[in-house]
Amino acid sequence: MDYLYSILILIGLFIILASSFDLVIGHCGLISIAHPIFYAIGAYVSAMLAKHNIMPIPLAMLSGGVVAFVASALVAVPALRVSGDYLLIASIGFQLGLIELAKHIHEIGGAGGLTNIPSFLIRDYGRESYVVLVLVLAGLTVLFIKWLTQGPYGRMMAAMRDDELAFSMLGRNAIWVKVSVFGIGSGIAGIAGGLYAHYFRFLEPDQFGLLQSSAVLTMVVVGGLRTAWGPVIGALVLQLMPQMITFFNLPPSVLGPLQGLIFTGLVLVFMFKRPQGLLAAPVIWTGKAPEKRGA
Amino acid sequence: MKAHWTLKSGAALVLATLLAGSALAQQTSYKFGMAMPLTGGQATYGNDQVKAAQWAVEEINKKGGINGKPLEMIVMDTQADPQVGIQSVNRMISVDKVAVFVTAWSGVVKAVAPIANDNKVVELSVGANSPDISQLGDYVYTTFPLADVDIRAVAGYSAKEMGKKKAAVLFINNETGLGSATVYRDTFKKAGGEVVAYEAYDQKATDFTGPLLKIRAANPDIIHLQGLVAESPQVIAQARQLGITVPITSYSGIYNQKLIEQLGAAAENVIATSLAPGVEDSPLVKDYVDRWVKEVGRAPNGLPYTQYLYDTPALVAAVFTALDKKGIAPTGENFRKEMLAIKTFDLPLTGKVTFAEDHTVNKPVYLVEVKNGKWTKKAVVGQ
Repeated sequence: MDYLYSILILIGLFIILASSFDLVIGHCGLISIAHPIFYAIGAYVSAMLAKHNIMPIPLAMLSGGVVAFVASALVAVPALRVSGDYLLIASIGFQLGLIELAKHIHEIGGAGGLTNIPSFLIRDYGRESYVVLVLVLAGLTVLFIKWLTQGPYGRMMAAMRDDELAFSMLGRNAIWVKVSVFGIGSGIAGIAGGLYAHYFRFLEPDQFGLLQSSAVLTMVVVGGLRTAWGPVIGALVLQLMPQMITFFNLPPSVLGPLQGLIFTGLVLVFMFKRPQGLLAAPVIWTGKAPEKRGA
Repeated sequence: MKAHWTLKSGAALVLATLLAGSALAQQTSYKFGMAMPLTGGQATYGNDQVKAAQWAVEEINKKGGINGKPLEMIVMDTQADPQVGIQSVNRMISVDKVAVFVTAWSGVVKAVAPIANDNKVVELSVGANSPDISQLGDYVYTTFPLADVDIRAVAGYSAKEMGKKKAAVLFINNETGLGSATVYRDTFKKAGGEVVAYEAYDQKATDFTGPLLKIRAANPDIIHLQGLVAESPQVIAQARQLGITVPITSYSGIYNQKLIEQLGAAAENVIATSLAPGVEDSPLVKDYVDRWVKEVGRAPNGLPYTQYLYDTPALVAAVFTALDKKGIAPTGENFRKEMLAIKTFDLPLTGKVTFAEDHTVNKPVYLVEVKNGKWTKKAVVGQ
């Protein structure tokens, strides 16, 4: 049963990660792939706060989200004042730099990883309760982002993304929109980090590196940028596929390379055959589905 | 409580339909798990180790298996990555219902320890040597001596037998590297030596001139390198290019033919350890290596590690056989009890292994040195 639970939990967590990442990169058009570092910040902050009994675990998770929110603002404010590509570079620098730093801090486990993180809910209510918690939060995240992007705030984001100059000419503050969206997305990732930490109870700096960045990016791209359900489908497909392959009873010499080929293969196929992802988003924001536009 | 059950049975139904095929074979065979890196940077070693274990399983089954029932090995990929490892181990426990699984690489060994303990399934760490593996819980055991055994031997030997006074320590900044480097430093100091440089490099580094120049400036008469098999040859090559000629010691990780092939003359004066008897020490090991050369066309990567992996199914089979004779169900709990009751296992390629109270095992350490382009036996410590 644990297997099914941990898959469901990882699917839930990756739905949260991919959706919040889509908010940043898809809806707001901010080019950053450092999303996992905010996931890591949330995980580590929550784990440390709970481990040292500073606060109860739910509060610790929230605090992880808040710290991730603040940290993302620290990256975004200076980086976004310039323009697009700088955020990419600054955020990767921030991601890799922080991972390096974490490896050298012995209080948080260093390169060897943080062990003995207290578990949450499982002991009193069973693992099922944690699955429910994660899936409910994943659902709420999707709905929240859907609500956010379809309201006035969403129209502002879309306008800013599609033509920043025109947006500024209307007297709007593009920096504020960018920083706040980046912060919200990162804060959500931080909370997901806390959820990861208190179920799997082991964190290692290296697991939040560029490999995870590419995994989340693949989920968003395969699922479909700027759609509410695209990241959900992406997370489902990319979490389940590697697992399904293990059930074909393949010899290890085939299994290994096959697993490795999935991610790269999928990205290539989608780049050429369906660049818009499984679900297509409207080209320009109208609040309507693509086929209804112009009707 | 009712909601609880609905959820449970619902999930069980999904799982049952998904996996109907694999659940059928359970009563007639004995299964154990094998979670190793089959892809990623460590795959060269992981694959050879799995191959060794597969051979052993075939041998065991040829000889009648577990009292006539076949021994079955479930192989899963970990990529040497904690999160992937967690998934693989969860799958083996939940779906394949293994009572015991074998894994390696310290990060994975530690990440899956809570799963082993929670599910009361025995985790056998075979090859990872981070010292704190002995403290991961009731269900985590190692058949491989932890870092302190061979590092202590090599540090003590350098200071006492080789008469070295000033050592430099260069290590990879991960769990294994850091833990082992500390052990080396403390042992070398205790043996009367002085550690003149203590430098770390990053896991993904490809250029090591920075720390090496610092070490050169400290002028040591021996260098201990604690790295992974992947980058250690490069470190040694760069050290030699920088004109550092003093002996370089390391641990069992670099003891393989590849090192000499890659480095050529630069490999001279490199001392490694081996925690398993070599070709010169045991005819069985010689047969085993000959089989590799005959069937695969080369010696295995990380020979001693593959020897340990080859021996693990024998250990697992011995415990299962004992359980089968007594008619006890092969659960993780019973497996652990029986394993500790048997306590000492005599294994074909690595000799005797005894599970100590503190979850460690002790073994003699074989020191080997590259001389004239060949690994040659230097000494045996702690026999």
